[in-house]
Amino acid sequence: MPDPNPQAGAEGAQQGNAPEAWFFCLRLIGGRYAFEAPLVSEVVRLGPLTRLPAAPSFLPGVFTHRGEVLPVLDVGQLVNQPAIPIRASTRAAIVHCGPWKVAVVSEGVEGLVAIARKNLEPPPSESSGVAEFLSAVGRDKSGPIAILDLPRLVDTARARAVPAGSSHA
Amino acid sequence: MTEASSEILMFQVGVRVFAAVVHDAVRIGSVAASPPDDLVCESALGTPFEQTRGIVVSGDEPGTERVLVVDQVIGIRSVPDVDVHPLPAFAAACLSSGAVSGFVLVDEVPMLLVDLPTLVRERPGVPAHEATP
Repeated sequence: MPDPNPQAGAEGAQQGNAPEAWFFCLRLIGGRYAFEAPLVSEVVRLGPLTRLPAAPSFLPGVFTHRGEVLPVLDVGQLVNQPAIPIRASTRAAIVHCGPWKVAVVSEGVEGLVAIARKNLEPPPSESSGVAEFLSAVGRDKSGPIAILDLPRLVDTARARAVPAGSSHA
Repeated sequence: MTEASSEILMFQVGVRVFAAVVHDAVRIGSVAASPPDDLVCESALGTPFEQTRGIVVSGDEPGTERVLVVDQVIGIRSVPDVDVHPLPAFAAACLSSGAVSGFVLVDEVPMLLVDLPTLVRERPGVPAHEATP
C-alpha cells in the first residue's frame, strides 16, 4: 500500500524560490536522511526478496511490485555500515534517478518534510562514509536531518560494482 | 486465443532454485558419466551440496559439452511470457556475472532466469568474455 503521496510536495520542491524546500525523509543507519521529493514515486512494503548471485552487498536482491521486478538498494552497505534489516514490515522508497529505478530500503519512513531554506547548510567536509553523499544538512521541528544527493549515490553504487562484460582496465 | 508461453527448466543449486530456458540444456545426466574436465562444479550460482546430477550444455567448440553440476533437477514448467522479465537495469549494471538474464515470476515471486551457456563459460567472479581463452 503506497504511503503518503509525494506528488503534492514534489510541486513545492520544484519551486526554487519558495522559502521552504520539500524533501522525502527516511530513517537510515540510525539517522534521518532525506532527498529531493520529486525523485520518489511511492513507498512500498518489501515483498519476498530474491537474492542475486554475484551481486554487491548494497544490492541485497529484487522483489516484485505490481508485476514489475525492482532492485533493492541498501545505503547502509554502500557506506560500509551494517545492513538495514529486511523484515516483513520493512518499507522502501521507490526512486527514479536518471535511468535507474530502485527501491531504497529504510528503517522507517517519515515522508515529506519541509525545511526552511535558511536552515539548510553545506555538509561537513568529510569525504568518507555517508558524508560523501550529502548535499546539505538542515533541521526541522523533529531535529537534524541530512540531505542526500541521491542521484550521485546511485551512480556511485553502480560504478563501484563490477558489471559483467566490463573492462577492468 | 492461447496465451504465449515459454518452457523453463527448474533446478536447485545449494538451497536456491533457478530457472533456465529448456532449449539451453542438451540433456540431463549423471555427473559420474561425464569427463571430469567437462564439469562445472562452482559457478556464480554457488556450489552444490552434492555432485551427482548435471545439466549438459553445448560447449564453445562444436561437439564439445560442459556439465553444470546441480543438486537437483526439479523439472520443466510452462510459464506465460508475461511472467518473464528482464533484469532491472540497475541490477544488470551491478552484477559481476552475465549469466543472470532475467526473472520468471512463479507464484508472484521472482525466480532467477539463468543463461546456461554463459554460466558454464564464466569462472566465478570473472565475466564470461574474460574466462574464455
